[in-house]
Amino acid sequence: MPRILGVDIPNEKPTHIALRYIYGIGPALALRLCEEARVDPLRRAKELNEDDISRLANILDREYVVEGPLRRQIQQNIARLRDIGSYRGSRHRRSLPVRGQRTKTNARTRKGPRKTVAGKKGVKELRG
Amino acid sequence: MSRSLKKGPHVDERLFTKVEKSIKTNNREPIKTWSRDCTIIPEFVGATFLVHNGKFFLKVYVTEDMVGHKLGEFSPTRTFRGHSGGKAKA
Repeated sequence: MPRILGVDIPNEKPTHIALRYIYGIGPALALRLCEEARVDPLRRAKELNEDDISRLANILDREYVVEGPLRRQIQQNIARLRDIGSYRGSRHRRSLPVRGQRTKTNARTRKGPRKTVAGKKGVKELRG
Repeated sequence: MSRSLKKGPHVDERLFTKVEKSIKTNNREPIKTWSRDCTIIPEFVGATFLVHNGKFFLKVYVTEDMVGHKLGEFSPTRTFRGHSGGKAKA
């Protein structure tokens, strides 16, 4: 199986899909990469030869931030917001939605699984 | 939607003149302001503001990292003291 940038081993899927297994590569970037490296996006990843892979890796290395460095960059951006004491930073600290969404209901992605509070009145009790 | 680049960042004119004056006179006294929507520009670095949060003024010392943010981002308007009925047992 081909390896791009060390760890990532995309599988038996078409190249433009397989590339998306690398953190930081989405549908659009995957297609653009194929074009830049002159690789047929529909060819299976296993059929890529050394040359194709080195061309892809080269472009990625030179022009795009992916995987570890990208993760680090995102963490740094969040750390910056925290350090300067901004509102967005405080939302990150409390793991609540950052962009002004409602928190009365929903927001479960940020808040995690529901934590039921004992003794809190439910809707049914209020009606009765 | 983000702001049109044509307009440039929104900066409160009167606040800006006050900052300029404080730089010129080397007066490091905090500047009281209600303009929470004023963008922090590089000239503001090192200045101290008292930013109104709807109730009182919070001290904001501007550092380099804050450039591009707005003054209001550093003066929270809400105080969350936890939910009610925390200790209600039995």
